[in-house]
Amino acid sequence: MAATQFVVNGLLVGALFAAVAVGFALIWGVVDIINLAHGEMVMLGGYTSYWVLSLVTGNAEGSPLLFLATVPVAIGVLFVVGYALQRTLVSRVIGTDIFLTLLVTFGASIAIQQLALQAWSANPRSIQVSFADPSLAIAGVVVPKMKLVAFAGALVLTAVLFVFLKRTRTGRAIRAVAQNPEAAALVGIDVEHTRAVTFGLSSAIAGGVGSFIAVILNIQPQMGLIYTLKSFVIVVFGGVGSIPGALVGGLLLGSVEELVAGFISSQWTLAVSFSLLIVLLVVKPKGLFGEGVGE
Amino acid sequence: MSTETDDSGTLKSIFPPDQVDRVFRTCDDHGWKLLIASAVVGALPPVLGLQSGYYMTVLTEMYLFAILALSWDIVGGQTGYPSFGNMAFFGIGAYTTAILVKDFAVAFPAAFLVAGLVATVFALVIGIIVLRLRGHYFAIATLGVLLAAQQVSRNLDITGGASGKILLETPSGTEFYYLFLGVLVAEAAVVYYLSSTRFGFVLNAIRDDEGKATAMGFNTTYYKTAAWMLAALFTGFAGGAYSLFNTFIDPQTAYNGAWNVELIAMALLGGSGTVAGPIIGAFGLHTVIEIVESYAVGWQLVLLGLAVIVTVIAIPEGLVGSLRQYASQMEYYKHGGMAAADGEADADEENPPSGGDSP
Repeated sequence: MAATQFVVNGLLVGALFAAVAVGFALIWGVVDIINLAHGEMVMLGGYTSYWVLSLVTGNAEGSPLLFLATVPVAIGVLFVVGYALQRTLVSRVIGTDIFLTLLVTFGASIAIQQLALQAWSANPRSIQVSFADPSLAIAGVVVPKMKLVAFAGALVLTAVLFVFLKRTRTGRAIRAVAQNPEAAALVGIDVEHTRAVTFGLSSAIAGGVGSFIAVILNIQPQMGLIYTLKSFVIVVFGGVGSIPGALVGGLLLGSVEELVAGFISSQWTLAVSFSLLIVLLVVKPKGLFGEGVGE
Repeated sequence: MSTETDDSGTLKSIFPPDQVDRVFRTCDDHGWKLLIASAVVGALPPVLGLQSGYYMTVLTEMYLFAILALSWDIVGGQTGYPSFGNMAFFGIGAYTTAILVKDFAVAFPAAFLVAGLVATVFALVIGIIVLRLRGHYFAIATLGVLLAAQQVSRNLDITGGASGKILLETPSGTEFYYLFLGVLVAEAAVVYYLSSTRFGFVLNAIRDDEGKATAMGFNTTYYKTAAWMLAALFTGFAGGAYSLFNTFIDPQTAYNGAWNVELIAMALLGGSGTVAGPIIGAFGLHTVIEIVESYAVGWQLVLLGLAVIVTVIAIPEGLVGSLRQYASQMEYYKHGGMAAADGEADADEENPPSGGDSP
C-alpha cells in the first residue's frame, strides 16, 4: 500500500521535525521569545557533525558509530552558541516590544545564514554512512536504516530533554522561570542564567537533530527558515509549552507532507504546510494540548 | 539612555537640543511645503541631463524601497501590527503586470493600475483572516502568507513556474524614475494627510491600546483592514512597476523574504510611526547596502542582518524618534520639572506633529 509507505516515511521524518519543534517550544514557553534563528541552529548542528567527521576521516563518510560520536559534539557546540545568543542579543530586548524580539532573532538568522553561505558555499552536503544500504523491508514497507536511526535519535533527544526538565535542579529552575520569573528570582534563581541555559538546551537539541538531518536528507546554509516555520506550525498545533503536543504535531506534519508529496506532488508540500499554518492560527491558535499562553 | 547622559556634553554642542526642537517644529508647521519641495528636488536630476546610468537606477531603487518601507509602516508603525509578509503584495502586483503585459498584451499603465487593485483585494481577503491575530501570531502568519504565495507562484503555469517571466519591451529608465517618485510622493502625501485625520488617530490608538480603542466605539477591524489595504495598494503599485523595471520576475525576486526584512529595518532605522522616518531609513540603508554590494559582493545580507540587530538594540525608536525624544527631553529640563513637561505634552497633543508621535 502506497499510503502506508508514505505515512511510515512521514513518521520517520516527522520525529525529527518534532524534536526541533520541542526546542522551539521550550524557548517560547520559558523565555517568551519566538526564536526565528532556531532553524539556523539545526543547520549549524548539521555542519558541525559534517566538519567533525571530515576532520576525522578526511571526507564526510564513516561508520555509524563514528557518526553517532559526532552528535554529542554538535549538541555541545550548539549549547554554547545558544547560550551566547541569549546572553549577547536576546537578553537586551526581553521585556520590550514583542516585535523587536522577533526582529533581533530574524536579524541573527540572516547573519548566521549568510556567514555560513560565505564560509561553506550554497552546495548541499550530506554525510555518507557506510551501513546505510540496503534498506530494511518490513511487511512490504521499505524503511531506510539511517532514517530509523535518526528517528530513534530524535526520540531519545526529546526524552532526555523531558527527563532533564522534570528531574534535575536546573530543569526545575527552568520551569519556575517559565511560570513566574519574578517569583523565581525571589527564591534565588538566577533568571538570566536560567534563560540562557534554556536557550542553550533548545539550540543543543536542534543541533543534535541537525546531525541526523545531515545523514538522511542534506544540509545547506539556507535550510534554516523552513525548519523554523515548521517548528512554528508544530508548536501552534500542539500547544505552546507542551512537549507531547510537539511530538504529536511533528509526527502529524511529517505524515501530511509525505502524503501530499506522494499523492499530489512534492512541489506542493511547502505551500500546503504554510497554508496549514495560517488555517491553524486562525482556527485553533491555542493548539490541541496547550492551555494557551497570552500574546 | 546612559550613553545619552554620558555624551550629552558633546551631543549638545553638535546638535543643540533647542535647535533640533526648532527644526522639528518648522517641519511640523510646513509639512506640505516640505513635501512639495522634496518632490521638486526629486524631479530635477533627469531634467538636468542625468538621464541614464548607474546613479539613476540607484535613485529609482531608493524610491522603490522608500515606498515599500512607508507602506509597511502604515500597518507596522502606525497601527502596531508588524507584518513579515508585505512582500506578498509586491509579488502579486509584480506578477499581475507581468502576466497582463506579456500574456494579454495590456498596455503597461493599465496593467500597473490593475496590479495595485489586485494587491488591495488580496489584502482584503487575507486581512480578514490574519488581522484577527496579534503579536507573535500575526507576525508569523504574515510570514506564512508570504511563503505560501511564493510556493503557489512557483507551482503555477501562468506565472512561468520557478523560471519566471522575462519582459523585454519596457518603458525607459526615466519613465520609471518618475513613476516611482510619483508613487512615493503620492503615498507620503496620503500618509501625511491621514496622520492629521480621525483615521490616522484611530490607527495610532489601535497601536497604543486596541482594547480601549474598541471600547471608545471604534470599529477597529474596519480601520485595521483599511490600513492594511492601503499598504497593499502602494506595495502592489511598487511591485507592478518593478517587474517591468527589472525586465524579469520569478518567485525568488517577487516574494523576496530578505527584502521584507530590509524594508522593516528601513522603517525602524528611520523611525517607525512617522512619515519622514521610513523614507530617510530607506535612503540611508539602501545607500549603505549599495556601497557594500559594489565593494564586497555577497556580504550585503550579512550586513542587513547586523543592521537589523544593531538598530533594534541601539535605537529602537529610529533616528527621527530618537531625535524627537532628545529634543523633548531637553525641553523638559529647560522648563524645570514635571509640571512643565506635562504642560508640554498637552500642548503637543493639541498640535499633533507630522506623522504622529513615535510610540
